[in-house]
Amino acid sequence: MMENAWIIPLFPLFSFLILLAVGKRLKENSAYIGILLTFISFVYSVMVLFERLNAPTLKAEQVWLTIGTMELTAGFEVNPLNSLMLVVVSLVSFLVHMYSKGYMHGDERFPIFYAYLGLFTFAMLGLVISPNLLQTYIFWELVGLGSFLLIGFYFYKEEAKAAAKKAFIMTRIGDVGLLIGMILLFWEVKSFEYADIFAAVQAGTVSETMITLSAILIFVGAVGKSGQFPLHTWLPDAMEGPTPVSALIHAATMVAAGVYLVATLFPLYEASHIAMLTVAIVGGFTAIFAASIGLVQTDIKRVLAYSTVSQLGYMMLALGSAGYVAGVFHLMTHAFFKALLFLAAGSVIHAVHTQDIEKMGGIWKKMPLTAPLFLIGTLAISGVPLFSGFFSKEEILVAAWTRGNTVLFWLAVVAAFFTAFYMFRLFFLVFTGEARSEVKDAHESPFVMTLPMLVLGGLAVFAGYVNTPWFGTFLGDWLTEGTDMHVHHEAPSWIMIVATVVSLLGIFLAWLMYGKKSLSRDWLSSRMPISYHVLFNKYYIDEFYQLTVVYAAKAVSMLFKYIDRFIVEGAANAVAALTQGIGKAGARLQNGQVQMYGAVTIIGLAALVVILALTGGYL
Amino acid sequence: MMDQTYFLSLLVFSPLLGIIALAFVPKEQEQMIKLIGFLATLPSLFFALLAFVQYLSGYDINSLAEKRNWIHFGKFAFLNKNTFTVDYELGIDGFALVMIVLTTILATLAAVASIHIKKEWKGYFMLFLLLEIGMLGVFAAENLVLFFIFFEITLIPMFFLIGKWGYFEKEKAAYSYLIYNGIGSAILLLVILILFARTGTSNVALLKEIFNDPAAQAQMMAPISEDLRYGLLIALLVAFGVKLPIVPLHSWMLRVHVQAPPSIVMLHSGVLLKIGAFGLIRFGLGLFPEEFRDLATFIAILGVINLLYGAFLAFIQNDFKMVLAYSSISHMGIVLIGLGALNEAGIQGAIFQVVSHGLISALLFFLVGVLYERVNTTMIDKLGGLAKAMPLTAGFLLAGAMASLGLPGMSGFVSEFTAFLGLFAAKPLIAAIGALGIIMTAVYLLRAVLTVTYGNANRDYAGVMDIRLVEAIPVLLLVALIVLIGVYPNILAEPLQATLEMIMNGLGG
Repeated sequence: MMENAWIIPLFPLFSFLILLAVGKRLKENSAYIGILLTFISFVYSVMVLFERLNAPTLKAEQVWLTIGTMELTAGFEVNPLNSLMLVVVSLVSFLVHMYSKGYMHGDERFPIFYAYLGLFTFAMLGLVISPNLLQTYIFWELVGLGSFLLIGFYFYKEEAKAAAKKAFIMTRIGDVGLLIGMILLFWEVKSFEYADIFAAVQAGTVSETMITLSAILIFVGAVGKSGQFPLHTWLPDAMEGPTPVSALIHAATMVAAGVYLVATLFPLYEASHIAMLTVAIVGGFTAIFAASIGLVQTDIKRVLAYSTVSQLGYMMLALGSAGYVAGVFHLMTHAFFKALLFLAAGSVIHAVHTQDIEKMGGIWKKMPLTAPLFLIGTLAISGVPLFSGFFSKEEILVAAWTRGNTVLFWLAVVAAFFTAFYMFRLFFLVFTGEARSEVKDAHESPFVMTLPMLVLGGLAVFAGYVNTPWFGTFLGDWLTEGTDMHVHHEAPSWIMIVATVVSLLGIFLAWLMYGKKSLSRDWLSSRMPISYHVLFNKYYIDEFYQLTVVYAAKAVSMLFKYIDRFIVEGAANAVAALTQGIGKAGARLQNGQVQMYGAVTIIGLAALVVILALTGGYL
Repeated sequence: MMDQTYFLSLLVFSPLLGIIALAFVPKEQEQMIKLIGFLATLPSLFFALLAFVQYLSGYDINSLAEKRNWIHFGKFAFLNKNTFTVDYELGIDGFALVMIVLTTILATLAAVASIHIKKEWKGYFMLFLLLEIGMLGVFAAENLVLFFIFFEITLIPMFFLIGKWGYFEKEKAAYSYLIYNGIGSAILLLVILILFARTGTSNVALLKEIFNDPAAQAQMMAPISEDLRYGLLIALLVAFGVKLPIVPLHSWMLRVHVQAPPSIVMLHSGVLLKIGAFGLIRFGLGLFPEEFRDLATFIAILGVINLLYGAFLAFIQNDFKMVLAYSSISHMGIVLIGLGALNEAGIQGAIFQVVSHGLISALLFFLVGVLYERVNTTMIDKLGGLAKAMPLTAGFLLAGAMASLGLPGMSGFVSEFTAFLGLFAAKPLIAAIGALGIIMTAVYLLRAVLTVTYGNANRDYAGVMDIRLVEAIPVLLLVALIVLIGVYPNILAEPLQATLEMIMNGLGG
């Protein structure tokens, strides 16, 4: 199986191509093609994963581009990290394919939606399976294309257009960092292969400065893709896309690609203390920064989006604190519970036709499946004991603490408190209390939508048990096998207690404010209006970018415009005028007087003789 | 399999058959004229593809060279038969072959795009085919005089094609084209004459040999000093810089892009601009490698200026054609960046960019033609939401934009990446500044394309028809080629390796 693993990404590609060609005729039957082909990918991925459990890493490559004496290759690799990712990606993609059959029902461009899903899944699986940086970069951009197309799926909406454009450009800013870092690394190592890069780093043939520089530049790419501060602003706007897309791309898979990239290049980062610290600081800061914005947002998808940004920050913090397993573990559990939350949110939106949580409420009884599933997701992300998020988040805190990043550790603890609070705020506002305006005829979603949620619900509960301090760290042992990294078997037990306490506190406070309503909800907005406005307006970062970067680009353009108009064109006109002037002067010489012609002839001849005498005929 | 003695001549001159045939067709027979015009591009296409496939399977391309006695100057023949003669010499290497394939493909597709031409089809297609002969000859010429003649053959039909079949300010555009290119030609002629006068030959291979061999230089009619070499290289840089164009020699091409009919812009942007790059590589880099090396930093800086200048200006244009015109300037910056890097990766990237941009700009201008035909404007602010009425056209336009902004999986990425790979090895600081262009390219292309196709639909255009089948076929072909090169770049890289090796040898390693 493993030696043919390259075929896994191709099934969704076929789905894309088939639907592009004949989707129009298939109409909503397009869904079956997409579902079937991603299901094959999923089954294949699972088989590859099981085979890889007891087999060594496999890598196969061929020449892709010859440049004189250099040969760049393309191929695939199956290692513990990416065989796990293959399963996560293909599973979530398969479930989203299934869910979308219900969610997108009746949409005019239904086949196109499935085609784009196929394209994205292809790119994401291709990214995961890449054995070198160049190929990773190629698929890295292609997932960006999938994301762009799906954010802009409702292309006739101005917001969707703006969001799609923003997503593409913001991530491209990061991608240029990745490109430069990758090229600099190439000229040090003379190869894009991960194995060669790690070997060179280990052998010490790459200078410390170069490692740090390229690692940080590559991290810029990860910052863009994973919505880390300061390139995070596109991700909340990306919620303009259909909700299944938000679940697949902007929660579970693509946005985790940045984390995946840093994890894949972990030996490179480990070699530079500064790079590690950068990753940890950006991650830790983003975790609390985004969580604080999530506290006050009123759009159900945007709250989840900021929570995604924040959770990705956690993963970066873990990796930056040398918690390789913790980061990857949280990536996996987050993929499940966040996809669940988005799908459940989509189910709610599907039923009530609004995304404003102020207009929801009391849906628990009307949606007897969606509501408990959303609760499971909420419990998991809040880090309530026994749910998957609890184990992975605890791992991250342990990693931050043992690495000695004390400040970041406490920031992460506060962020965990925020997370529990805003998630339960969301839960109470949407599902409990009295039904508000929009929910009159809400009803449970069809089976194609609830089934994927049920599967994810199960995973959100149980996925954590592959790596626990109680029953064994199977995942960690397997991921780190054959390397000198190790799992934190021994950790101070108070960390677990602190983590549990803060999350319960957050839930309790949310209950007081939004469940029992014994505390005023307007506490923040009335007591501290300024900080409320700052949070509600996302720290005014978009406005800041508008005033600086966008205007700067426009100013440069205007400057060039005037150069083009007055200097370039002006010079051309001057030359034209000069030519015309000479022509006119010449015309005046031609006045019909033979004496004048004779004089000109003699002068010309004299000039030529002088030139000949001076140069000998040749310059 | 191939008749070697006439093969290249046939390839270059076969459009002449069409011109002759057209001469006998009454000028009102629109369909007939268009059909003949289209068919006349096919023989060259066939020969070019045949040669390409043969070359890929190991055929020695040098055996296609042709040589016939042509002109003798003075009475030197008794001294040395080869001195002061201009022979009719055709010959190609991998690079020239690739350019010829590109030219023939684009000529055929541009002939299809010419269905939108509204008047005087007969004259149009005769000039069109003459233009094709000129372009093919430029790439197949083995000596400088012949090169120059073909170079001029492209100039004249182009002048009339712009001036007669263009849009509102067509005359101004045509004159602007003629004056700038005329000056470029004059400078080029000067260089050619100096070389010919000093060495007694204009054969490119022979010239290379003479320049590389000190003994041969001693035998020259008159030696070429170091200073003169720099002078000649800079003159070449200006002559081909007008064509490419290098900022600030570009203002003529903006007018041509906007005023000429889209089918002609396909050839102009797709092939004619590339003659500038071709000339720079073949003659500038080929004949004066040492001097080129000294100017490399300067050329790289020019490249970055082109890249950023074009990108920032494309960002604020309101005419979609202007966006594409500045985009061409910006993309030609990548060619200069690659040449400025002056290593394997850089030069290959530059050549890749020449081919890739040829295909991409042809695709985009074909679509501009399709669009203009239906909505009668290319002003961005008047359009919007066209994806609703014409989803396929909008999709293709987006595909073209993605190719142009260097999306991996399409040819633009390979060329951009390879050129930057080269420049980062040679001059990382200049390259880092240039990398800003990668972001700006995405910014201006998405702005332009999304404004046209996404967002609120303009009600005036709610009923416009989507792309027709006859139009969709060329578009699909171009997209397929762009993707083919992007996915399997070695199909283009392999034929170039011999040329690349020769250039690197000239550079001394």
